[in-house]
Amino acid sequence: MKRNLLWRGLLILAVALVCVALAYPPKKKINLGLDLRGGVHLVLQVHTEDALRAETDSDMARLVDQAKEQSVTGLTATRTGDAAFTISAASPDALSTVTDIAGRFLPRWQASRQNDALVFTMDAKSVNEVRNATVNQAVQTINNRIDQFGVSEPVIQPTATGHRIVVELPGVDDPERVRRLIKNTAFLEFRIVQFPKGGGGVGSREEILANYGGQLPADVEILEGDRRDQTDAVVGKSYYAVQKRRTVTGRDLRNANPSRGQFGNPIVEFTLTPTGSEAFGQLTGQNVGSGLAIVLDGRVVTAPVVKSRISDRGQIEGGFSQQQAQDLSTVLRSGALPASITYLEERTVGPALGRDSIEAGLRAGIVGTLAVLVALLGYYRLAGLNAISALLLNVLILFGGMGAFHSTLTLPGIAGVILTIGMAVDANVLVFERIREELRAGRTVRSAIDLGFDRAFTSIIDTHVTTLISALFLFQFGTGPIKGFAVTLTIGLIASIFTAVFVSRWLFDLVLSRRQVQAPLSI
Amino acid sequence: MEFLHDTHFDFMKYRRFWIIVSFILVVLGLYTIFGPHKLNLGIDFAGGTQITLGFRETPEIDRIRTLVEQAGMREAVIQRIGKPEENQVNIKTAAAQGTEEGSRERLVAALSKSYNQGKTGVDLNQTGLDGLTQALVRANPDRVAPPQAGTHYAGIAETILKDRRTNGIFKSMDRIARLPGVSPAVASALQQGAHLGDFSVLGTENVGPQIGKELRSQGFWAVLLSLLGMLCYIWFRFELRFGIGAVMASLHDVAVTLGLFTLLGFEFNLTTIAAFLTLVGYSVNDTVVIFDRMRENMRKSRRKPLIELMNDSINETLSRTIMTSGLTFLTVLSLFLLGGDVLRGFGFVMTVGIIVGTYSSIYVASPFALLWESLFGPGGKWSRKPAVAAGPARPEPTKIEPKPGELPARRRTARRRA
Repeated sequence: MKRNLLWRGLLILAVALVCVALAYPPKKKINLGLDLRGGVHLVLQVHTEDALRAETDSDMARLVDQAKEQSVTGLTATRTGDAAFTISAASPDALSTVTDIAGRFLPRWQASRQNDALVFTMDAKSVNEVRNATVNQAVQTINNRIDQFGVSEPVIQPTATGHRIVVELPGVDDPERVRRLIKNTAFLEFRIVQFPKGGGGVGSREEILANYGGQLPADVEILEGDRRDQTDAVVGKSYYAVQKRRTVTGRDLRNANPSRGQFGNPIVEFTLTPTGSEAFGQLTGQNVGSGLAIVLDGRVVTAPVVKSRISDRGQIEGGFSQQQAQDLSTVLRSGALPASITYLEERTVGPALGRDSIEAGLRAGIVGTLAVLVALLGYYRLAGLNAISALLLNVLILFGGMGAFHSTLTLPGIAGVILTIGMAVDANVLVFERIREELRAGRTVRSAIDLGFDRAFTSIIDTHVTTLISALFLFQFGTGPIKGFAVTLTIGLIASIFTAVFVSRWLFDLVLSRRQVQAPLSI
Repeated sequence: MEFLHDTHFDFMKYRRFWIIVSFILVVLGLYTIFGPHKLNLGIDFAGGTQITLGFRETPEIDRIRTLVEQAGMREAVIQRIGKPEENQVNIKTAAAQGTEEGSRERLVAALSKSYNQGKTGVDLNQTGLDGLTQALVRANPDRVAPPQAGTHYAGIAETILKDRRTNGIFKSMDRIARLPGVSPAVASALQQGAHLGDFSVLGTENVGPQIGKELRSQGFWAVLLSLLGMLCYIWFRFELRFGIGAVMASLHDVAVTLGLFTLLGFEFNLTTIAAFLTLVGYSVNDTVVIFDRMRENMRKSRRKPLIELMNDSINETLSRTIMTSGLTFLTVLSLFLLGGDVLRGFGFVMTVGIIVGTYSSIYVASPFALLWESLFGPGGKWSRKPAVAAGPARPEPTKIEPKPGELPARRRTARRRA
């Protein structure tokens, strides 16, 4: 009997120690949710159809190119949907050649004949692959960008469905900057300026149109940018006629860093990959004296004049602040987002608000717990002490479990903790009341305790398992906060069974082993 | 110390009366939730934008409302929150048609039209890091050489903004001047070139209508499935009628509490869902304890009518019910009173829920199990099974007064065993 007691005691001690190790220091091991510590929470929608369209365009172009090589001409190709295009040709022969080529080069496309046109649709599996790859690439890109932010423990995760990304940045409270940094598609292109020849841009679209006699050539488009004065302040808009062809883009960048220009103004320096340098050298070599538009997300940042052939490095001046130069380098380095995104959900909790809720919550929790402890002691005397130790151990295990699962404590999580504590108190009350009942029925202390625990056991198991089942469903089907509630509840319930049945019993047995059989029980 | 023991209240005597009372309460609750009062759905579920502003002086709600309405955002909910001296205001606007992105910019612009009028330069209560750094670099009060200026002033700007974030809106320039790293030159440059706007944005939440809809349906299914899960477990461990009774009791508690919650205008959001889940947890817990005792008593005395067994079981567990409910009540009451704005709604649900839940586990769960039995049980009104077909049939609940001198069933068996 004594030996048995010792082993059980050691087991309880071991559990307690493991939990202390798992939860200590609490500041490091228990993550506070954004609602408690402040930070930015975003849900982004990735418009995967952007990427799908790009893939469709490129496959379509490839097919036409291949056909041209086999001297099939007179094809008209049009994209008819996100993942569909049609090709029509003058002769049926041409169409069958195109079908052959498609069979060889475009395995993921299904072609069907409709009158004198071929309708191509991407198969569902490939569509899904493209969409998922887009989301994953976007996660990667955002990850790289956030890395530069120096946030500890950022969460950047794709959701299971709906092509979304959840971003959580604890401690960050400049949502504007985060939004800009993430949302920046950062698609960089270098384009040759056709008009005005010397770079610099003109004041209106009409001026450009007038230059071309009212009709833009097919390979030219108009882009706009900011007009700046000597001090780099924005004073208006400026327009450029640039070539549509993009030979060098952000994909050809090897690196980008913020730096200082000749007047100490912040600039971004970049270097190019070997293939990028080759293309860039060719582009600039052929266009010495023309303007070279540096286009970011469809806007001209700056359009300096090419003075000589440039191959592997260059710089972008755009009247940046240091912060902007830093952020632009970051997004250029991290690569372009594969698709545009919108914000579905955005929450910013200021640290002051979060701190207020923690303080108030803690105060309420302490007062409430103290009241319960006093009531337990007053009502159950020494046995109350037993319940209190079991309760404290319960909370310890709860935090140990949260540390082990790296779960996050949120406000709903605190609700879970409260429910757990309530149920743990209830488990003890169940046992005590049962013991009292047995004592009233005239049993000895020993058998009253044995029977009390035995009979309360089924109640405890049933109440806990019922709640556990509901917690599991909530975990499975709930979102963020509901999940947080379910996690703390699950850990807490398991801890509660252990403390109420095992620990509390051990404490009773320990007391019984050191006393006279006839002495009354303080309960 | 002991409050109650060996009680013999006839709880089931007035069960029809209490079922009717509960039914009326549920109907009233549902009427409040879906009727003219309407549940105050938070932006979590309704979609929309909620921003928390701190003001330098006591905010005038009416003025803010006029400004917001003039900007075309009707049905905005504007409330003072926090401690009175903190001058905080919460503005909630509905989701704009056709866009998932929020109306933060529009709100701030609308308010700035009236507040902050005629002030020039950077607004120290609004500006972000970029704006402030740039303004400082341009003024260059510390006479730093251009290459280092950016880093130097970015550091100062960060210090100033950090203080604003942690300690709230700047009410005077003095607080900025006292910050470490802010030189007198910088302070006076800010005094001249910048101003302190009348309000500052402390927090923003924006939930697009799409997400709102999803959160709504996910929350609904999670709760429904978890209730079904409980029902199945109780069915498996006890009997179907007990499962029905327990689920009915929790639905009753949710309807009544939610009705009162709506009536008092609390906001229903994701945190509140957690509160209602907790409430369901307590309610079922309470009910299961009583049912457990019923199961035990049923095994001991098979001949006793169910109704009497129920009364015995409720009486035997009464002391525990009062004790547990009382202790939990203490905790949630302190949450309600001391928990601050965020936890107040939660505390309210639990405080009311504990009372209603304790009542329902006695007066709703057991009577419902009885009702189910009399309707669908063997020989029940709507049952296809004849009375004799299934198992040891329990007689229709008829009242049998315990004969004086006869011992309650439990002790009799206990003694026999011992």
